[in-house]
Amino acid sequence: MLPRRSRLSVLIFLLPPVALYCIAVLFPILQSLFLSFFSWDGISDLQFIGLDNYVHMFTGDVVFWRSFANAIGYLVICLVLQLGGGLIVASLLTTLRRGREVVKTLYLLPAVISTVAIAFLFQRIYSVDPVGLLNQVLQWVGLGGLARPWLSDVNTVLAAVSVPEGWRFTGLYVLIIYAALIAVPAELEEAARLDGANAWTVFTKIRFPYIRPVWITTVIMATTYALRGFDIPYLLTNGGPGQSSELLTTYMYKTAFTSTNYGYASTISVFIVVECLVAVGLIVVLLRRKADA
Amino acid sequence: MTRDTAAAALALTLTGCGSSGAGSGTTPGDVNPSGAIVPRAISWLLSRPADGGVITAMKQIADEYAKSHPGFSLNFITTPDRPSYIQKYETLAAANKLPELFDTDATPFAQKLAKQGNMVDVDKLLKDLGLYDSYRPAALDYQRFDDGSLYMIPFEFQMEFFWYNKALLQQAGVSVPTSLDDLPATCTALRKAGITPIALDGQDQWPLERYMAYHPFRTAGPDYIKNLKKGQAKFADDPGSSAVDWLNQLGQAKCFEDGFSSTGYSDAQALFTSGKAAIYNIGTWELSSLATDKLDPSVRSNVDFFTLPTTANSVTQANEFVSPSGIGMAVNAKTFDPLVRDFLKFALTEYPKVYAATGALSPTTDVQTTIPSNATPLYQKAVDEASNLGKQLAMPWDTQLDPTSNTRLQQELTLLLQGNVSPSDFISTMDQTIAENGPKAFQQ
Repeated sequence: MLPRRSRLSVLIFLLPPVALYCIAVLFPILQSLFLSFFSWDGISDLQFIGLDNYVHMFTGDVVFWRSFANAIGYLVICLVLQLGGGLIVASLLTTLRRGREVVKTLYLLPAVISTVAIAFLFQRIYSVDPVGLLNQVLQWVGLGGLARPWLSDVNTVLAAVSVPEGWRFTGLYVLIIYAALIAVPAELEEAARLDGANAWTVFTKIRFPYIRPVWITTVIMATTYALRGFDIPYLLTNGGPGQSSELLTTYMYKTAFTSTNYGYASTISVFIVVECLVAVGLIVVLLRRKADA
Repeated sequence: MTRDTAAAALALTLTGCGSSGAGSGTTPGDVNPSGAIVPRAISWLLSRPADGGVITAMKQIADEYAKSHPGFSLNFITTPDRPSYIQKYETLAAANKLPELFDTDATPFAQKLAKQGNMVDVDKLLKDLGLYDSYRPAALDYQRFDDGSLYMIPFEFQMEFFWYNKALLQQAGVSVPTSLDDLPATCTALRKAGITPIALDGQDQWPLERYMAYHPFRTAGPDYIKNLKKGQAKFADDPGSSAVDWLNQLGQAKCFEDGFSSTGYSDAQALFTSGKAAIYNIGTWELSSLATDKLDPSVRSNVDFFTLPTTANSVTQANEFVSPSGIGMAVNAKTFDPLVRDFLKFALTEYPKVYAATGALSPTTDVQTTIPSNATPLYQKAVDEASNLGKQLAMPWDTQLDPTSNTRLQQELTLLLQGNVSPSDFISTMDQTIAENGPKAFQQ
C-alpha cells in the first residue's frame, strides 16, 4: 500500500494521460454516438432522425452485412497467421540454440515497414502483368494453372488483402509469445518429462496454461487490430472488386468521406466500437472459463 | 451541439490548412468589393500534380504579382490523389475552414456550398473582369451545375481519345472501329492474335466509368445521365440497358487486360507504350508521353488515335466526346476581398499564355499551344482536334452521379466486366441504388 502522499502523486501523474485518453478516445466515441442519431452531410444543419440510421444499417443495407462478413473473414485469417503462426514460430525459436536474435529481427522487420510500402510490395507480388512473385513461383513449381490476378478475383481477394496484414504483425506476436514461453520454469517442464509427458502434453498442460495471461492479451490485441484493419485493404483494392474486400472500416470511411453521410458513418463506427467490445468480452470470458475448467 | 462544433471536432482528425481569415468576405454576387488592396498570404487548396503545368504556371504568375505587391504570396496546398483531396476539402468545408481558393468538381456537395453563399459567382466575376468571352464555351460548360450556374474557373482543357497501335491492329487483321458496337468484335480478334485489346487503369475506377458513359451519350445524348442521376430515367430504359449489354459484351470479349481491376495508372499506360496493348483511352494530358520522343521508338511510329466512335442510331456527332476542363477552382466568398479579386484578374489574364507555352491546351481561345520541339506529328493533330469540337459534351459520370451511387456504380461495373454479375442484376442494383440516393442528393 502506498503512503497517502505517494498515492496523491500517482493520481496527479495519472491525470494528464487519463485526460488525453478522454479527449482522444472517449470524446470521439461519444461524438460518433451522438452523430449516429442525425442525418448530416457536413455543411447543412444536423437533422435528428432518431434510430433511422440503425434501422437502415441492420435491415436495409446489404453492403453493410457484406462488409461485416468480410471483416470476420479478414479477422480469422489475421488471427490464424498472427497468433497461430506466432505461436508456432515462437515455440520453434525456444528450441533454437543459435541465431535467435537474427530470426527475431527478421520476423519483426515487416512490422516496422510503412503500410504504403507493404501495400506496394504486395501489389507487385500478386500482379499478373508484369508477372508478380506469387504467380512466377506457381509457374516454377508447375502450378501455373493456379496463377491468377489475386486482387481482381472475387474468390481470392479477401485472403489476398488479409495475408499482408497477418504477415506484417506475426513477428510482433512471435516476440511477445516467445518472451512468455522462455519465462516458463524449466524445472516444471523437466519434471513433466520425467513423468513421461511427450512434447504435446508438455505444451498443452504446462507451457500453454503458463502463458495463458499473455495469450489473452495477444488475442485481444490481434482481434481488435484486425477488426479495425483498414489501411492495407484500402490501399490494395479500395474494397473491390465490387465489395469483395470491403471491410466495415473501409465502408465507414467511404460513407463519411465520399458520400459525406457523416451520420450514417458514425452509426457504422459505433457498431465497430461495440463489435470490438463484444469481441474482447467474449475472449476474456471464454479463455478465463477454460482456465477455470 | 451546433453544426460548427461537430464540424470542428470532425476536422480535428485531419490536417487543417486553415484560411487566413483576413478577408472581410462578400456576398456571392458581389464580384467587385470596395476597399483597398492589402497584400497578404492567400492559399489555394488544390488537387493537381505538384510539378504539373497548372501549378508551375500559377507559381510563376504569383511570384510576378508578389513583386509588385510586397507581402503577397500564394500558398499551394496540393493533394493530387483525388479521394484524399475530396476528404480534406469536404472536411474543411464542414469546419468552415476553406481557404481563399479551392478546387472542386460540379458535384452536389459543391452546389450546396454555392447555394449557402460560400462560393463567388464565377459567371459574374469573369464577365466583370472582361475575361468571360475568351474562354472556350465547352471549358466553362464542363464546370457548370445543372441549373447552368457557374462557380468554378477552369484551368485546363483536355480531349479524351482512343490511342491505338496501328501495327497491332494490322496484326490482328482489324481496322479502327467505326461504331462502338464494333468494339467487342475488335477485342475478340485482338485476343485471338494474342494481343491485349485495351489497356485500362481499373484501380482508379474512373477510366472504366468512362465506358459506361459512352454508349448512352451516343444513343440518347447528354441528357440521359442528367435524368438518370435524379432518378428520372432508369438503367432499365433503352439507352441504359443497351449500354449495359454493350459493356457485358466488352467483358465477354475480354477487352481489358487480365486483372484490370487491380492495374494502376502507370501499369496500364505501360501496357500500351510497351506495345503489349492495342488501344488505350486517355486524355491529352498524356500528350507528352504519347506524342513526343519520350515514347518507346519501337512503338512511336505506330501510334495514332481515333475519337469516340458513334453508334448506328447516334444522336450526338462524331466530333462530340469527352472534353473535360478538369477540376475547377472555386473562390471562397467568405474571404473574397479586393486583393483576391485583383490577383485573380492578374493571374487569369496572364495564365493562358504561360500555360499554353508549356505545350498544354488553354481553357481559353486567345492563345496558341506551343508544340514542344520533341513532339511527333501526332501532337499537332491532337491539338487541332480542339477546333473541330462539336457543342454537346460527354460528361464523365463520376462528376455527375451522387457520390454513393457513383461508388456503387464503380464497384458494380468491375463485377459486370469481370462476369461476376449479370446485366439484369447490374441494372436492378443500380436502379435501386440511384432511387435511394439520387433524388435526395439533387433535391434543391
